[in-house]
This record gives sequence, structure tokens and C-alpha cells, in this order.
Amino acid sequence: MSEVYISKKSFYDTPLGDDKAVVPEMRRDCYAVFACRHKFCRDVCPVYFETRDETTGSYGLHTSILGMAEGHVALSDLQDTITMCLECGACELRCPNSLYTGDFYGQSTTLVDLVRKVRRDLIAQGTPPANWDAVQKYIDQDLEKENGPSDALVKWADDLDLPNAGETMLFVDYFNAGQTTDVPRNAVKILKAAGIRFGILDKPYPTLGELYESDKEKWMVYAAQNIDALAKAGAKTVILVNPHDYIFFVREYPKYFNLPFDVVYITDYLLSLFEAGKITLKNELPINATYHDPCSLNKHVLNWEAPRTLIEAIPGISYKADDHIRQWDYCCGNGLNSFKRLKPDVSYKIGLRRFSMAEEVGAEQLIVACPHCLDQFTEVKAKSGSSLEPVHILELIAKSMGID
Amino acid sequence: MEAISEKAVTRLEDALGKENVYPDNPHRAVRAAVPSPFPVCHWEEHIPDIVVLPKTTEEVVEIMKIANEFKIPVVPRAGATGLADGAVPMRKGILLDIKRMDEILEIDDVNMTATVQPGLGMLELNKTLSRIGLFYPDDPASYPCSIIGGRIGSGGWSLMGSGYGHVPDLVISMEVVLPTGKVIRVGGGGGRKIRKSSVGYRLKDLFIGHSGTLGVTTEATLDLCKKPEAECPAYFGTGSFEESHDLALALERLGLKTMTAVVIFDNEKIEFLRRDDEAYIPQPKEVVSVVLALLYGSEGEVLAARKQVFETAVDKMKATYLGDEIAKGDWASRHDRYHITYHGRNAAGEVSMMSWHCEDAAIVHSELPYVRKKWHEIVKRYKREYDGYFDDWGMFMYTSNPFKAYGDYLTEVDIGVNELEMTPEIWQAFIKMKSEIAAVALEAGGSISTCHGGTRPGDVELACHQELAEGSFDLMKDIKKLLDPNNIMNPGKYLLDEAYQ
Repeated sequence: MSEVYISKKSFYDTPLGDDKAVVPEMRRDCYAVFACRHKFCRDVCPVYFETRDETTGSYGLHTSILGMAEGHVALSDLQDTITMCLECGACELRCPNSLYTGDFYGQSTTLVDLVRKVRRDLIAQGTPPANWDAVQKYIDQDLEKENGPSDALVKWADDLDLPNAGETMLFVDYFNAGQTTDVPRNAVKILKAAGIRFGILDKPYPTLGELYESDKEKWMVYAAQNIDALAKAGAKTVILVNPHDYIFFVREYPKYFNLPFDVVYITDYLLSLFEAGKITLKNELPINATYHDPCSLNKHVLNWEAPRTLIEAIPGISYKADDHIRQWDYCCGNGLNSFKRLKPDVSYKIGLRRFSMAEEVGAEQLIVACPHCLDQFTEVKAKSGSSLEPVHILELIAKSMGID
Repeated sequence: MEAISEKAVTRLEDALGKENVYPDNPHRAVRAAVPSPFPVCHWEEHIPDIVVLPKTTEEVVEIMKIANEFKIPVVPRAGATGLADGAVPMRKGILLDIKRMDEILEIDDVNMTATVQPGLGMLELNKTLSRIGLFYPDDPASYPCSIIGGRIGSGGWSLMGSGYGHVPDLVISMEVVLPTGKVIRVGGGGGRKIRKSSVGYRLKDLFIGHSGTLGVTTEATLDLCKKPEAECPAYFGTGSFEESHDLALALERLGLKTMTAVVIFDNEKIEFLRRDDEAYIPQPKEVVSVVLALLYGSEGEVLAARKQVFETAVDKMKATYLGDEIAKGDWASRHDRYHITYHGRNAAGEVSMMSWHCEDAAIVHSELPYVRKKWHEIVKRYKREYDGYFDDWGMFMYTSNPFKAYGDYLTEVDIGVNELEMTPEIWQAFIKMKSEIAAVALEAGGSISTCHGGTRPGDVELACHQELAEGSFDLMKDIKKLLDPNNIMNPGKYLLDEAYQ
């Protein structure tokens, strides 16, 4: 993974607070966004499309913190507005500070990091983001799994006969292991059919983004445990099946740790197997489909080609999708971490809008490459009564390969 | 005027619903500024008392009634991408953000009109129109984030206006809520889709470019076009500004209907763009100044016009065609070419964070060299005197005559302004610089602004007391007082407070 995706502004480590001064570096950094004031970031923000409120998003948050530096806003004033970010990353891509010059000046805009920081700082001073209780409850449930029997975390693979070591390791997070088990199960079946020898951890540790933006230290302890466990299992390559975790492994873990293995997302890995002739997509799937880019892949690490290439290689599929740039404006509505629990109503509206776009191109199936998108779209379908069917790309690949 | 009372806030909440009324600090502080220079040290003065986001005409009417009853200023805000201070509150009050009025009410592809609410973004409208091969041809530099209502309120100028017209030419009719709360319709004639009529006064223009001082547009019917089949932005390099000026005239004189714009980049602009080659397609040293000829039309029309343009520019005027790469890359990215803060430099060549500021004027072709010389002298003098606070980022000149690419030009000088470290004293120097720049435009027989309006300190005194001195400003004051008896609409703009003294 290129260093270009790993951002770290050391002044983010200095806490903001109602009784604390904003450090000069932070003031300047926020001004660099405020100075634009054309707000190109606003009109790619899926939250803005629903709320029409410019207080949120990259311009709104950077301006609010500049306002904090100038004495017009207090940190606790952000309890509501800080909930209004999906962390999808679209605004960072559209920011003139880096759009044309890259990181030429070493000053690219890092709204996602800033949102996480502000949420942490609000929690630290006892004024958490509005509706944070719902998020904390979810975090507690996840951490209970870590404290519970470890075989519960690998129950999804009971009948799959996988070793707990190997040069290639499939890392399966708690969400996939508990809620979208077909995703890792299909991954395992495809990899086995391609003749890949690989293992899974007998006990993975939490990777929960909600924890990262509330208790970074605890999240880092688990990160270290994951890295350690994978290294001890002999991993040289780690395959991820959740793109939210993938971007943690390639963008966040390297900020704090050295990773003694390569990290690859499942669709990239499968594409390389397909190109090497180890995967044959033989069965026709006469479906009418479109594809939804997960924000984590498309916007955070500019990874969008592999899923499209694989979908296009499925015989019989009728497939039409917007290009990856147009999809910068989209999100399934789940967001990367806490958003869905903080703002369930806005989350649903964003999902509904994405559904209507898919319906407009005549799709009957909406292909995803992320378990959170799958979960969100399944919920949107149930609530809206739409006939559009969300489906994970691994399910289609398995079917086309003739795997039951 | 008094600060907003709890009673007024309750009335607003009753009228709009609590979820559309925001008294909190972030909502208010974020809506103090627009892209024109904003001295951070003066932020507090411009923070509105409350922010409201209505969804219907009826709600706007209610806001006006409440504002009149309690004598509270109302400042309309759309995309807030304007380069005048139109949406900057001068007396605090109610910030009326129209972005939740974002419905497309009708698209009529037979009579080629779209009727919309004013909070709709232009990009959003064109995404919908593109599905049926149509487009709304208004193209400001802030196109991806500018909003219909703001374009109307500021009387915006369009990059392709010499081909397709500017906002006053593109708005067929409008529903306007007057400051008293009365709702009227103005337009070309009786029906909302009639473009030309000879009945009554031409009142529509009164409600375009008033910078929020005369009311709020709550619905607009817009003129649509078929999406052009072909586009040809051709860039030519020359050895001097003078050569570019001559080339531009030769291109204007071709009399091509497909000519949508002629644009001159002067020497300082090219030097500025070379500061950071990653932000610009590098050009050979011989290229000192640049001319763009922009053609839109059917493939046959553009092909024929392109031939004439190349014969004129390359064969006759000996300019250098800069290649297809820049044609595709540079013109296609025109809306993103905002100058980032880190492009500012002090005298030592070090990065000094600055905001992009654009001073624009309407100048006839023959006066462009005079204005250019004078403006650079002024900006460079201030740059020397206030090192690290101001910077000369060069000039652009765009044809601006609607439907005809000749005659007058939107002429802009781009200036880096260090807002963050600005002191009240240096802010006064900035205002003085603006005033000197505006005075040159008037000396050259021009107008001090083609597109941004004359509402900012430094401009406004010259606008009202010199440019509009021959009775226009007096009539403006009479109209203002007639329509807005309590001076609630965006008070403090265009010196219109004088009407009430």
C-alpha cells in the first residue's frame, strides 16, 4: 500500500475542549479549508444531499473549529453536527487542497481523521455526540464477544475445516463472523476451489471503527493483538473480506505499527486468481444488475477496478453501473463507523436514494462488495418494499464457479 | 434594529417547525462568510442571530411577516459561493438559507423550460436534464456548487454567456416574495413560460442582481437548451499580452455564432500558474500569454469554425496551438481551478497562506491594456508594502457580451489575500486597494463589476456615488423604500440605508 493513503497530522493528537485553546497548526489547517469557501466538498456529500445543511461536512466542520479558535464556537456546540458524517471520504477527494496538487504542500485535507478526533474529544470531555448511547451499546456488545468463548467467533467456519495458521491468512472480522456469515463462507469456498491453502485465526480481536473513534487506545491494543496473532500464525499475506477492516489494515494500523505481512482485499486477490486461470466463471447468471462501490474501497484507497472486472467476466450478466468517480457522490447510508446508529433516519434516506438510482438504470440486483453495504441495503429493501435485490459479489462469483 | 427576541424565535419555530430553525453557534458561525475576502478578525460582526431553512413559499412569506413585525433583518443565502458580500449579514438578524427549497417542479421539453425551487443546485438540475439531452447553460466558475437562487440574487455571469446568455437572459419568469410578504410573479409577459412580451414595465430585471435587498425568489422558470453536440476549447500561446489582445480581436471579428467565449490569460497569470506545475499543464518558455477560443455547436458547425479559428490564430497571427491535451484537461477542469491557499507567496518566494480573491470589472476591448497596466501597478504596490498579505495572481479577460463574443470583457485581477493574519489596519489597506482598482474601471469607461456586484466595502461607495450617480442610485433608494418600508431585506448593502435617513 502506498504511503500516500496514510495521513497523520500530529496536531490532531492535541485534544480540543471547551476550556482548551486550539493549537496554531490546527487553526491554520482548518483555515486552509475555510479559505476556499466554494465548498466543492459540500456537493459531493451524501449527507448534504439529504439535509441541505452546510454546517456539516468538510467545510462546515473545519469552519466550526476555526470558529472555535476565534472564540465563536465551543467544542460541546458540535455534539449534534459531528454526528452528520458518514466518513465516506468524498469531500477529501474533491478538496482543491489536494485535487490538483496531490500532497505537494503536505497539507491535504483529512476530514475523516478530524471527525474521529472530534468525536473522541467530545466523549473525553463528557459531552458525547448526540445519540452516542446507541453506539456505545453496540461497542459493548462487540467487546463482550471478545470476552466470551473464542469458538463463537469462528463458529461460521465450523464445517469448513480450516487451519489456524498458514502463509496466507483470511482475516474475518466480528461483523462478518456474526451477521453476514455467507460473505466469509463464500470467500472460503472460492479460495478452496481455486486451490489456495490458507487459514483463519482461532481468535480474531475487535476491529470495530466505533471503538476507534471513541477509545483509540483500547482499539490499538486490539490492533496490536491482531497483528501479533497473524504474525504468529505465519502470515505473509492477509486477505480481508470486510473493506472497512481492509482500510484499517492499510491506512490506520501502519500509523502505529509495522505490519510483517502484505494485506490484500478479497476482490483484488480473486482478480489475480482469475487472471492466472485459477478461477473459472463458467455458469451463466442471466441477471440484470448494477454495482455499488463501497466508500471504503472507492474513496479511501481508490480501489474500484477489480470488482467491475470480475462482474463483467460473469457470463450472461447484464450489467450497467456509474463509473467510480460518479459514485463518489453515493453511499449506501451505513457510513464507515458510527453514522448509522447516530442518524438512523438520514442513513435510511441515503440508502433509499441509492436504491432509486439503481432502479432508474433498470437493475433488478444491486451488487455490493462490502458486508455493511449488504446489511444496509437489506434493511432498506425490507423497509421500502423495493423489489431490488442486494447481492454480494462473492455470492455471484461462487454461483458462476458452480460452487453450492 | 434590535437583537432577535425569544418571542420572534418561537414564532419562527411555529411557522417552520423547530427542525428548520437553528439558534446554535456552529449553524450561525458557518454562515457568516462567502468567498469574498473575509477578515477573520471581524467574524463576530457578521454572525447572524438565527438560521432558518424554509421549504415552501408560504414559509418564506411567514418569515417576512415575522421579520417585519419584529423589525429583524433577513439575509438570504443560497450556495454562498458569490464573490460579492451579498449573503454576508451586515446587521446580524435572520439568515434565510434557501437550500431546502430544492425541488424540480416541472421540465417541459417541448417549450424548453424548467421550473424549479431556488435552492436547487445547478449541477443537480443538469444531472436530471442530461438524461433527456438538455441542459441549463449557466456556467459560473463555481458551477458544481452554485445554486439557482443565488445566481438570480447576484445577477450572475456565465463563462459561456457570450454563447448562451447570462442569468437575466436565462430566467424566463420568477415568483418573488417581497419584503412585506407579498408574493408577485415577474417575467417576460403573462404566462410563466413567455420569454418576450411588450406588456408593462420590464420588472423581471429588478429582481435579478439585487443582492437580496428586494425580496426572495421562491420559484423560477428557466430557459433550457439542447446539449451541444461538439465542444472545442482551443488554447493558443503568444509572446506577449499585446499579441494576445490583437489575437482576441481577430477572433472576435470572425463573427462566428459558435464562438462561445474568447479568453485572455495575461503574462502574470501564466507566471502564477507556473508556480505549481502540478496544478497546470506545463508550457514552453516562449508561451508568455494565452488566448482561448471556445466553440460550441453541432459537429459540422464546430468543425467549420475551428478551421477559421486556426487559420486566424496560427497562420495569420502566428500564435502557437497548445495542443489537445490542454484543451481537454484545462477547459474540462475549469470549475476546479481555484487557487489553493498554499499558492500564496511572499517577496522571498516562501509559501504564505492566502485566500483567492477576484476583482472583476466590465471593460470594453479597447481599454483592456490600460486597465491591465494600472491594476497590476496597484496590486504590486500593495504587495510590496504589505509583504505576505497580498499577492498578484495575474489576470483573466473573458468576453461577456450576451450571445455575442465581442465588445466588452469581464476583466479580473486575482489577488492573494492573507485573511487569517489580517489586522483591522491591513483590512483598511485592502479596502483602499479595492477602491483604487474600481476607480480605474470607471476611468476606462467601464463598470466596477461584471458579475460580483458592487456591494463590498471599497466598491460600494464608487458604485453608488459615481457609477450610478446620474439618477440611478436615487431611483434605487426610492424603489427600496417602496418595496421594503422597514429595511429588513439584507440591510447595509449598496448604501441603501441612506434611503431611510
